[in-house]
Amino acid sequence: MSCTPNRKPVALGPPATGRGYLELDLFISGIGGQGIQLIGKSLALAAIKDSRHVMLAGEYGGHMRGGSSIGTVVIGAKPLKALPILPHAGSAIAMSHLFWERVGSRLRPGSFVLAEETVAADLPDMEQHRLVKLPATAIATELGSRMAAGMVMLGAFAALTGAVEIDSAVAAMAEQIPSYRRQHIEANERAIRAGAASVTPMAFAVDLDAREVA
Amino acid sequence: MTMRLMDGSEAIVEAAIQAGLRFYAGYPMSPATELLEYMAEKLPHHEGVCINAATEIEGINMALGAAAGGFRAASGSCGQGLALMQEAIAEAALNETPIVIFNMARNQQDYFQATRGGGWGDYRTITLAPKDLHEAVEHAQLAFHLADKYRVPVIFMGDNLLARTQMGTTLPQLDLAPLPPKDWQLDGTSGGTGKSRQIWTFGCGKTNDPGPGPSKHWERIAAKFDAIAEVEARYEEGFTDDAETLVVAFGSGGKFVEHVVREMRADGHKVGYFRPVTLWPYPGEALERASQGCKRVLVFELNAGQMIDDVRLNVHDRKLVKAIGGVSFDESGLNLGPLMDATVIRERIELAIHGASK
Repeated sequence: MSCTPNRKPVALGPPATGRGYLELDLFISGIGGQGIQLIGKSLALAAIKDSRHVMLAGEYGGHMRGGSSIGTVVIGAKPLKALPILPHAGSAIAMSHLFWERVGSRLRPGSFVLAEETVAADLPDMEQHRLVKLPATAIATELGSRMAAGMVMLGAFAALTGAVEIDSAVAAMAEQIPSYRRQHIEANERAIRAGAASVTPMAFAVDLDAREVA
Repeated sequence: MTMRLMDGSEAIVEAAIQAGLRFYAGYPMSPATELLEYMAEKLPHHEGVCINAATEIEGINMALGAAAGGFRAASGSCGQGLALMQEAIAEAALNETPIVIFNMARNQQDYFQATRGGGWGDYRTITLAPKDLHEAVEHAQLAFHLADKYRVPVIFMGDNLLARTQMGTTLPQLDLAPLPPKDWQLDGTSGGTGKSRQIWTFGCGKTNDPGPGPSKHWERIAAKFDAIAEVEARYEEGFTDDAETLVVAFGSGGKFVEHVVREMRADGHKVGYFRPVTLWPYPGEALERASQGCKRVLVFELNAGQMIDDVRLNVHDRKLVKAIGGVSFDESGLNLGPLMDATVIRERIELAIHGASK
């Protein structure tokens, strides 16, 4: 497990203003069962390992309406100013086009969106955002673990943005898997590393320790 | 110190145990159930006891008993559960037993219940309303300190956002002044000496050791709450120096309003925020000062208008006060509703400003 503070630059979407310091704010959207909450918790735990400040929230009412699963992660170098219900965010991971409107309507123009390739075409208004498509399901299937598509997305997001160290993401995933599912850890790790290897880091990374420019 | 990711319920339990909590009895009720679950998991590892009582009334009375024994003790539920506990909370206030009650509320309709003294008698309950997990960690410690310091019940007022949002925390410990020993605790050491402790006869005492009598007893209790009101009010404010519009909100609502006000300031609006950190004692003098020079004082709370009474009592001109909140639940009825949203709050503030200028 990584214990060194992560001080690498991070690729944010358009940042929120009025917070003093930059924060990466992210929605993860998909269908219950796709591992949305596992992606969110892994990112949050990995960021903690990287000595970042972190907030992780779910859309609690949504779970009861059935189907929709949304996770919210905020990562910063300083104590966070973000609200537990984000009015808007600058990044998103899309695992499905279903229920997307609840997230899409809250993205700031120019947001960074990492979308599963097969659903990307069904996400509206993508011309105003920075869209990265990833064949996560195909990569996971190739690895023999179709269920690990979410982990491919996690690895890709970590590598694209630099938000968390890949090793931290792997360790964070592993520590959450319950004892009766330990056999999936290896496949998940392969998926995370495959996702990370399949992308080129974004060029617009910024230093989270820097004060926001007014 | 290592940062750990935990939800508010767990952070509150960890902080309370660090602060010396050793007894918790409660009955599950969403969104307070996780608090009980963490208590059950963690207290036995700290020589503590957690009991899933058969009702809220049993839970609070068990906690009252443990507190009378000198232990730091607590019960908890959501607001409806606290309604059931009111008789025991009043007893704790009137017979001077320190106890903490965690209210992980479904909404903000608990304000009157928490701040007016929800049962019989001339008493109030100190009520701490943290805005987020970090402040909750502080308040979980402060609650037990204040309860012991004044021998009073203290209500910790949270909600579902506080209970379930996960944040990284190092669980920092407050540096609180030492308190005198509990010479009143029922620990068995005065058995057979004729010097019983905690004789609860409304101040009448015993034949061989008469007390001051009911009037003097109730007067002394009431005077104690007046003295607490003088010194324990806490608040947070921002941009009040030149604010034309002041927005008042508490708990999670206070955090949302602060966020919106900062955004609006960045866009050049002359708005400020005021957040009572203690709902009782209400920081009335501070609010009076903060509202000087304002053209309007807006109250955002998720109820039909409860804290607005305290705002009207304290601002320099009550005609300036306007409600911008309202009743708002999610579809389950167990959680804060769609009004707790920065975009909606901003719209309502802008509408109040715009409408008033016409």
